[in-house]
Amino acid sequence: MQNTVLVVGAGPAGLAAAAGVAESGNKVVLVEKAAQLGGTPILSGYAKLVPSGEWAKDAMGRMVKRVEESKNVQIYKETKVTKFAGEPGKFTATLANGTSVECGSVILATGFTHFDSINKPEWGFGTYEDVVTTTQVEQMVAAGKVACPSDGRVPERVAILLCVGSRDRQIGREWCSKICCTVSTNLAMEIKELSPTTDVFIYYMDIRTFGLYEDRFYWKSQEEFKTKFVKARIAEVTRAPDGRLLVKGEDTLVKRPIVIPMDLVVHAVGMDPNEDNPEIARVFGVGLEKHGFIERAEHYTNTCGTTRRGIYAVGAALAPETIDDSISQGTAAAMRALADMNALVQKTA
Amino acid sequence: MATYAEMREIYEDIRNDFRYDHELNGCLNCGICTATCPAAHFYDFSPREIVQLLWTENVEQIYDAMQEKIWACAQCMTCAARCPFKNSPGGLIAIMREVSIKHGMQSAKDVLRPFGRVMLKLITTGNQLSPDMIQPDHFPDWGPNIQKVEGDLKTLRKAIPVRTLQTTDTAWEVSLKTSVEMYTIWEMTGVMDSLQIVDENLFDVIEDFIDEKREDYNDWLETQEDRKDD
Repeated sequence: MQNTVLVVGAGPAGLAAAAGVAESGNKVVLVEKAAQLGGTPILSGYAKLVPSGEWAKDAMGRMVKRVEESKNVQIYKETKVTKFAGEPGKFTATLANGTSVECGSVILATGFTHFDSINKPEWGFGTYEDVVTTTQVEQMVAAGKVACPSDGRVPERVAILLCVGSRDRQIGREWCSKICCTVSTNLAMEIKELSPTTDVFIYYMDIRTFGLYEDRFYWKSQEEFKTKFVKARIAEVTRAPDGRLLVKGEDTLVKRPIVIPMDLVVHAVGMDPNEDNPEIARVFGVGLEKHGFIERAEHYTNTCGTTRRGIYAVGAALAPETIDDSISQGTAAAMRALADMNALVQKTA
Repeated sequence: MATYAEMREIYEDIRNDFRYDHELNGCLNCGICTATCPAAHFYDFSPREIVQLLWTENVEQIYDAMQEKIWACAQCMTCAARCPFKNSPGGLIAIMREVSIKHGMQSAKDVLRPFGRVMLKLITTGNQLSPDMIQPDHFPDWGPNIQKVEGDLKTLRKAIPVRTLQTTDTAWEVSLKTSVEMYTIWEMTGVMDSLQIVDENLFDVIEDFIDEKREDYNDWLETQEDRKDD
């Protein structure tokens, strides 16, 4: 009987799971494929997180430090699990670096992959330099200056297009990525803070700033930062002879087609299933649900469970998820893993 | 003006078309169909409006839209390629047009009248348009390029290496057998029924012509049989 917990992925969910197990007095092996811990908020260079408003490097930095300083956590970076066998309480995982890990259970915190905007060519990403993604604007905000990549000018008019790679049957992405609405309203405010003369327009199908995000982000971005919300899905982005971008849509409330000049167009990119999910499913023998995320077990009594006993999944590995909820799920899975192993011990005793 | 019961019946005919559920899944009201629609840029026409009227079963407004608006669509289907829900507003309009013909709506008759000439040309030659019909006065939108097809049309057409395209009063030669097969397709798919509803006179002319051509074809078939016997 082994009661080490193998945690795969060191983003918000995985760091929370590792800390939860370690602080309960059990051993953790944390495997991360990147060279750095912290997950997407760090690797993609996010600016301030929603909803705390704390810089990503500070917030994730505390989570990383807590795990790195724990005596109970063994960390392997720049490696993956390549082989996996056994049963709950007696699993053996082989890492790409040759290490063999004995563990009692596994928590998959393998996250997501940002939608690649190149798959919606009509919206100009990859064709026009001044069409960028929310990730790129996060990086601009983190660096302290929002500018058009083509010539470095500060944009007078910015359009943020919501649901890029989300809620779109044409490209097989039928899910809502959950967080882009709030992130976009937050970015609109950050752009305005850096450049008060810039006008920001958000083009939406629905606004899903759920829960407390409603007044703290959606209302605030209008009331305090004068962000303009237009209910329209943009049909295409082109370029005018003067080099400015043109976005074509229908103002559905005015009910007429419109073409509007913009300096910077931002794609609010959604969350795809992690591009490694087919490999993860094969190695660990867990199922994927129809969109390609990891399939959940019955949730009510097997919270964070997958289709294989002893393997749990958390955060954006399961579905588009917020950072805060990913962290809560990581902690919940730590609890579930320890409880299930405890039950196994009692059964064998 | 139709009664509510009549409008309801027209809506039910649209709703019960076998393609309806495939073309309409719901609507997020995002407007990408109207934004991308070439017709919406020039006419008081919006594919999103059509979808909404159908989705909300607004039978009076549906009837109203069938008077003129649905005929603004060019059936380019860009809306269907863009819709995040994979609806086909253009496909719905195709259904609405067919229903308006089935019900003999005056709007359908008015809109389709100019196409009578095209249909006649098609039935008599197998072509919608022939090279000698392309004259500068009729195609101002071609601009100066029209000069290229003016002049010695016969010589220009002779330059085409495919023999059946070396004609000037038809775009290409259509064989008697192909024509007769086309008539059969039109009869079996209901095109002739639709024509009878919207233009009885044209229908009679075309019916006579089809009978004549069929006789010619049967005569030709007999000559083939005779040859075999020899």
